Formats: sequence, structure tokens, C-alpha cells
Amino acid sequence: MARLMDMGLEKLNTLLLEMSTISENAVATSIQAYSRGGKADEVREWSARLQTLHRQVSDLSMELIARFQPVASDLRFVMACFEISYGFYRFGRYALDIVEVLEEFGDLSKCDHKAVVQTARDTQEMIRMSVDAFARRDVTLGKQIREREDVVDDSYRKVVRSVINQKKDVKCALSATLILRYLERIADHAVYIAESVEYIVTGVEPK
Amino acid sequence: MQELGAAHELYSRDEARAEVSSGAGIEIKQLSAFYGQKQALYDVNLSVRPYQVTAIIGPSGCGKSTLIRCINRMHELVPDAYVTGQVMLEGVDIYGGSLDPTEVRRRIGMVFQKPNPFPNMSVSDNVVAGLKLNGVRNKSKLAEAARRCLERVYLWDEVKDDLKRSGASLSGGQQQRLCIARALAVEPEVLLMDEPCSALDPIATAKIEELVAELKSQYTVVIVTHNMQQASRVADYTAFMYLGKLVEFDKTTTIFENPKEQLTERYVTGKFG
Repeated sequence: MARLMDMGLEKLNTLLLEMSTISENAVATSIQAYSRGGKADEVREWSARLQTLHRQVSDLSMELIARFQPVASDLRFVMACFEISYGFYRFGRYALDIVEVLEEFGDLSKCDHKAVVQTARDTQEMIRMSVDAFARRDVTLGKQIREREDVVDDSYRKVVRSVINQKKDVKCALSATLILRYLERIADHAVYIAESVEYIVTGVEPK
Repeated sequence: MQELGAAHELYSRDEARAEVSSGAGIEIKQLSAFYGQKQALYDVNLSVRPYQVTAIIGPSGCGKSTLIRCINRMHELVPDAYVTGQVMLEGVDIYGGSLDPTEVRRRIGMVFQKPNPFPNMSVSDNVVAGLKLNGVRNKSKLAEAARRCLERVYLWDEVKDDLKRSGASLSGGQQQRLCIARALAVEPEVLLMDEPCSALDPIATAKIEELVAELKSQYTVVIVTHNMQQASRVADYTAFMYLGKLVEFDKTTTIFENPKEQLTERYVTGKFG
């Protein structure tokens, strides 16, 4: 016989899986618009949808705590879902920030996209791994995600340093810096998601 | 998750006192209990911290009531019942022969599941019944003790205008607080509570729980409960028992957030029991 609380926990899981799909698509679409040009209007809609879903996760978590007083792994799952949901919501919000940079700066086709595209590839891989970590409750992916975060951080710092010394081509440099900054924040949230999964499974918060 | 960490600090502020104080702690060593041929407890080892609330949880028939009744030698009042092992109170084995069972039960008081005031006694006589049995006859001393104990359990204001009324005329929650006052009157060091709220409504239950949290400043409290939320609310430490064995004993926050044993995890999350 299923426990009354299980229906709510399952609903939380479903909400998060929906959020993971939308947030992955949002980041991928925004980066595609940067590297290939073109519009990414759907990202705005997805970002709003992620905000709504995050609110639903928050309400449902609160309701489950109030009505069923979850404990042990149930409690950790509810607490971690709130953190993870925030991570997915932020993925969508940074994707929208990237799209807004593109709208603000206009045509960037003449820019060298290499640094951003490479970092975006790493960041998207981190998102994918954080989603897998959650879906499969896999704590082994945390280490790989953290290693990639270092790569993304290095890439961001390298571009910032080159911009400081650069005299020309401000538009390309500034857009790349901003986008890299958002990617760097996305990478951080991917790490937080993996850490929340570790907390669900082991009960220990990674240092 | 950070917020939960902060809450731990909030509720564990009395631990420092428990660490330094050696009084009124109970060491249960290799305790087994029997009802004739039937064994009800198997080699239980448990260290009850002084001036802390320890909850014992577990499904029906797991031995939690037997365990608590062994702590003040009530188990042996059942025909053919006996124990092996030790229960140390301040370093002295209560089964060692140097302590009289009546003295043990004075120092380790008990409150039961169903409020059991003496029905033909007044409220105040109920409170001081134990003192009278111990030979106290001085009326003003008895009245003073009755008032002090009724105040201690927050019952004084509710009954002070008619202390002569029968104890049985009080509400269930009041009766239970009267029984706690009666247990406190003989100045025990340890208070055992065997499902003290199971016959009470939620408001009366909350009052008893608040009282338990207060009592630990002066007494070591052990509470058996089948209400896991009650254990998580009132206890500093929680012991989980199953089939007569102690499965896990740890800080309450650990038992309810991150238990070590799979069996504990399954029980506290309601997956069996």
C-alpha cells in the first residue's frame, strides 16, 4: 500500500524532471542563437514557465512538510527538491540573460565564438550530468561536475583578463564576457544540484 | 539545508550541561528481560543522558514498554518475569542488591499511558500520596509540596480554587498532569513516561510535551511513545527498538534526518510498522 505522502513526492519528482528538460533546452537554444545567429523567443517563455514550476515545487514542498512531516530520506528529498528546482529555474533565467545580451548587442556574426562555444559545451555537459544525477540519484557524477566547473571558471577568467588588455572590438569582447559570466553561474548551479542529490542519497552535505 | 543546521543549534543548547553533568544518567548494560520462557528484550545496551529527554520508539510489541519498566524494577512485578544484565543509576546497579526496589521506584518515577489518579482522593491528596506513604505527616509541609508540584506541572491555576475535589473529576489532560505532579512529589531523579499522551487530545498532548521539555532542566526523562512526531518534537535522543532489540540510538535529529540503519529509515518513514 502506497503511503499518502508518496503521491506528493512523485509529483515533486515529475515537476523537477519537466523543469530539467525545459532548462536544458533553454540554455541550448540561447547558445545556438549566439553561435549561429537567429532568434530565440521561446527562451523567454521557457524562463517564465520555469519560474512558475519553481513556485509549484515550493508550494508542494511546503504542503508536504505541513501535512505529512516527512523525516529521514523523505525529508532530505523534499528539502533537496527545493534547492534543485531553484537550480533549474536559474538555468532558465541565465539562458534568458544570454538572449537579452544578443538582443542588446545585435549582429555578432563577425565575432570569434570559439571561447564561448567551447565553454558552453562544457556547461551544457554539466547541466546534462546534473539532470542525470537527479534522475538516477547518482552521487558519482558530482566529482565530474566539479572538475568541469574548474574548466568553466578558468575559461571565464581568461576572457575577462584578455578583455582588460584589449583596445578594440569592445562589442565582441563584452558580449563574450557577459555570456561567459552567465555560463559560469549556470555551472555553479549544476554543482549545487549534484550536491543536493548527494544530500538526498547519503544525508551528508558535500564540503 | 542551512536552515535545518541552524535549528539543530537551537534545540541542542542544553547538551553542554548534559556533557559535564554526571548525575541521574542511566547506563543499561546487556539487559535481557523475560516473561517466563518468553524473552522480550535481548542484550540491550543504552546510555541515557542526564537532564535530557530520551524517547524510545518502535512498533507494537518491540519491547519498548518492557524496557522502560525494567528501568525502575516494575517489570519484575509481573509473575514469572525477570531480567538479566545491569541498569546503573549514578554508577550503582539497581538490580545489584544494595538498593531496595521501593527506593529505586522513588528515585525513578513513572507516569503511565492512562492517567490513573486515585479516584477516591482529592487533587491535593493525590499529589502527596507518595509523601504520606513515606511518613510525612506535617500538614503545612504536605500543602506546600502539593502547591509546588501542581505549579511545576502548570495545574495549580486550574485547580487552586477547589483542591478538595476528586482527582478523577479533572479532564484527561489535567489528570495526567496531576499524575506527573504526584510522581514529582517524592523528588525523583529520573522520570519515566510510558506513552503519556496516547489517551489525550492534541491540546492536552501539547501541554504535556511542553512540560516534558521543561522538566528536563531538573530531571532525566525517558519517554516511550508510538507517536514518532512526538519523539521528534520532545526528545534530545531517540532509541529505535524492533523485536526486543535496540536497533539504533542516536541524537533525535540524526534518527529523523539521516538514520544509519536501513530498518530505522524504513520505520520512521512509515514504510513498515
